[in-house]
Amino acid sequence: MSRRGMQKESRRVTGRRTFLLGSGMLLMTSFLSGRLYQLQVAQNNRYKRLSDRNQFDRRVVPPRRGRLVDRKMRLLAGNAESYLLHLTPLYAGDIDHALAQLASLIDLNEAVIEQVREKAQRGPSFRPILITESLTQRELSRLAVRSAYLPGVTFEKTLRRIYPQGALTGHVTGYVSPLTSREIEEDRTLGELPDLATGKIGVEYALEPELRGVPGAERVEVNARGRPIRVFRDFEPESGGDVKLALDIGLQQHVTEILRRGKSEPVDMSSPEVQRAIAGNLELKQHLASGENMLLRDEIGKITPPESGAVVVIDITNGEILSMVSSPTYDPNIFTDRLLTRDWRRLNDHPRNPLLNRVTAGLYAPGSTFKMVVALAALEAGIIDENTRHFCNGSMELGNATFHCWLEDGHGTVNVVRALERSCDVFFYEVALKTGIQRIKDMANRLGLGDVTGIDIPGEKAGIIPYHDWKLATHGVVWTPGETVVASIGQGYVLTTPLQLAVMTARLASGTKAVTPSLRAVETEPDFKPLDISPAALRIVCKGMFEVMHGGLGTARAHNLPSRFGGMAGKTGTVQVKRITKEQREAGVTKNIERPWKERDHALFVGYAPVKNPRYAVAVVVEHGGSGSSMAAPIARATLQRVFETQGRA
Amino acid sequence: MATENVTILRTMLRIPWHVLLVAAVLVSIGALALYSASEGSWTPWAGRHAIRGGVGVAMVLVLAFIDFRIMRIWAYPIYLLSVVVLIVLLGIGSGGSVARWITIGGFTFQPSEPTKIAVLLALARYFDSQPLEKMRSILTYLPPLVMIAVPFILIIEQPDLGTALALALGSLTVLFVAGLPWRYILVAFIGLAAAAPVMWSQLYPYQKARVMTFLNPESDKLGAGYQITQSKIALGSGGMFGKGFLMGSQSQLNYLPEKQTDFVFTMIGEEFGLIGNLFILVLYLLLIGGVLAISYRVGSRFAQLTCIGVAMMLFLYVFVNVAMVTGLLPVVGAPLPLISYGGTAMLTVFLGLGVVTSAVIHDRPEQD
Repeated sequence: MSRRGMQKESRRVTGRRTFLLGSGMLLMTSFLSGRLYQLQVAQNNRYKRLSDRNQFDRRVVPPRRGRLVDRKMRLLAGNAESYLLHLTPLYAGDIDHALAQLASLIDLNEAVIEQVREKAQRGPSFRPILITESLTQRELSRLAVRSAYLPGVTFEKTLRRIYPQGALTGHVTGYVSPLTSREIEEDRTLGELPDLATGKIGVEYALEPELRGVPGAERVEVNARGRPIRVFRDFEPESGGDVKLALDIGLQQHVTEILRRGKSEPVDMSSPEVQRAIAGNLELKQHLASGENMLLRDEIGKITPPESGAVVVIDITNGEILSMVSSPTYDPNIFTDRLLTRDWRRLNDHPRNPLLNRVTAGLYAPGSTFKMVVALAALEAGIIDENTRHFCNGSMELGNATFHCWLEDGHGTVNVVRALERSCDVFFYEVALKTGIQRIKDMANRLGLGDVTGIDIPGEKAGIIPYHDWKLATHGVVWTPGETVVASIGQGYVLTTPLQLAVMTARLASGTKAVTPSLRAVETEPDFKPLDISPAALRIVCKGMFEVMHGGLGTARAHNLPSRFGGMAGKTGTVQVKRITKEQREAGVTKNIERPWKERDHALFVGYAPVKNPRYAVAVVVEHGGSGSSMAAPIARATLQRVFETQGRA
Repeated sequence: MATENVTILRTMLRIPWHVLLVAAVLVSIGALALYSASEGSWTPWAGRHAIRGGVGVAMVLVLAFIDFRIMRIWAYPIYLLSVVVLIVLLGIGSGGSVARWITIGGFTFQPSEPTKIAVLLALARYFDSQPLEKMRSILTYLPPLVMIAVPFILIIEQPDLGTALALALGSLTVLFVAGLPWRYILVAFIGLAAAAPVMWSQLYPYQKARVMTFLNPESDKLGAGYQITQSKIALGSGGMFGKGFLMGSQSQLNYLPEKQTDFVFTMIGEEFGLIGNLFILVLYLLLIGGVLAISYRVGSRFAQLTCIGVAMMLFLYVFVNVAMVTGLLPVVGAPLPLISYGGTAMLTVFLGLGVVTSAVIHDRPEQD
């Protein structure tokens, strides 16, 4: 055969067989059509009957979520029974009649009735329509008695998350809310649990795997009227584990009150003068709209909202967080149901961002509270000792720049202890220049600054401890000595969270252990890493902190803890928010309280008590609160005093 | 410039638009079915399905501009690459877990699906290069058997029996149309019947359970037989004209499992009845017939065999799925092409259609 002929022949064979194949496909498809005819037409009656009384409804049973309690077993997050009410139009018959009947028994507003009516018209009649998610016990019993006369009405028990302490612990507990489509995408097994609520933030999020539990499964036998007759439990759900937190609710309440009041007195909200002030002030209105119920009168007689800021109390011996307050706060209960856009908008419109957990995610320049870091770095490296003195005349020249001390006329000759006591800036400028930013950065890291503490709250911020390579990497330019000077008093690029400052103070006070914070109650003595800082250097720095409270010129000498509690040691910090220009400096700086709130200084304080064998450390940040010594120190003092009073009784 | 425009215009005119149109109609039906499956919502499935369909059509249009003769050069390398991917996949999945999926940049992807196309191309390339006088010799058919066996075994090891069998059946068809003498076909059937008991013993327990359940679904109404029973109830209660769009009580109340993937045909049957189901089957016949018709119009043997292979692959998808949901085959996990939710199967189908389009445009018979 010729090549051309063979090609033709093989093409013919393939063509023939393709035709055969096609015919085969047609035959098989006819066969499938026959099967479909058999099922859908010939046996239609049988399957229709089966479909009408479709026997079993398989359901996943959500587990009971673990509870959160405080150190004295008081409930912070629990589960309340709540009942869902459904109406199935197919079984209800006349929908208007059914709704009217329901409205006579339970509280139903017109909007809900209209919604249900619309859904009944739009959707298929066999799908149950949710009428309410929060049926009260009383309503439930009223309905249960008459259930025989209410066809198509079914109720179902669910557990709703509640936070009995509300806003007081909002930033600690966080909240749960219904599953998001994103979560289902990440874990497809969740898709079967439409009613599951998962932690979105706070401890609820951090401990989600522990708190959630394992879902069970059941089959519900349904009769022809859609009413469940019997329930078979295939697997019992496994409850999530309860978690005991280190928090003390009583203390938390007091600390919140102390921080929010600051230096001012609450006003009588109903007085005409206050009402007038509210009426003319949009900001005050926004505060009140998001649930605020307290206003203050400040030193110059203005009506202002409560102070914003953060307070953390940590047990130095085991890292337990006894209290962490972030103001303003929010009520987590509003997130557990369907969040109302109105509530959400109010939280978002709030001028001071109540959703921000300032303890773990609020970034503040540490100001003079950073001076312990510089002192320790210099002492440990042998660059200074207790006797090294510098003369402060109120400013220091470096190149073309002048760096001012906060005290215009200067502190005279001071050593490190006096420099801490009186918070002399110039001393630390000089010392920092000799020590170098690298050593300061290393010391800050060892004390817990510049990195997350790993506490069980998501979204914790690491802050910034700047140094050469960081500057080069983020700004593309080299580090300058002037920046070391600014960093030495905790300003410039330096940023820390209040939690980090508390941890730093706890480590300083402990002297030997690298304390890490724990939100959970600690049962056994934790095994902290050694701190490894020269004990001699630590002793000198702690002496400086002691003098802050006890020295004749200490910046917080007016706010020491009574000696029956053992006294306290600490350090104030006042952080400039707005640069002071040369002209302003010459014209005389305006007093804090006379500036707009946003331009006032932040007030900081860190401290520990008792002086001997320290037990508790505290960090206070009051946003735009004025000075560390007049605003933050008294709050720290009152907080520590309260700690001793409450913990003593425990 | 002018000639370029002419080339583009000519290419556009030669695209088998009728085939693409049927595919687009099927994707649209799929989107509507998925809209119903999620209780009347474009999320999470219907919207994405429609977008993927659009991407698929675009892919066909791009392939239309690629000269089919290039694929002859690439057929073997592509085949080798997919075998390597399957081997890597087994490596990842070691330790008893089933590894069928890989994730690349957020897309989960099942490599065994497009492997089907790779095997088809390699086989067509092989027969294209064989001297025609050898077509009656059994030796000619041994290398293709090895080419099929390697991916077949790799996919069985995953283990994914359904895809492996579809791949084997689809590619054996290429041997058949290439001209495998009838006597060998007879021998093969006898051999297969004899080997069946051995193969049964090689199955995993869950695979055996599926076959047993298929043989007697009523024995285990709430366990493994649940899917088949519920599927038959949903289909059967649909009747001649169905219960109406969004009104399928079995599907909407979640008695029917996997209604967005393997059991989408059942849901359509419940809501649109026998008429709806037959309409879909007719559309598939038009699609497959269109591809088979193209196989008569292309030039090279390579193109011809590729087109037939693609048509068979399409048919196997449809047949296995419909037979499964009507209780004629065990539940093996087979999607309904272009209608079921799932990116990889849809990608594979459009890849096949793109190859066919490229063939009919660039590989034309010599005019004599």
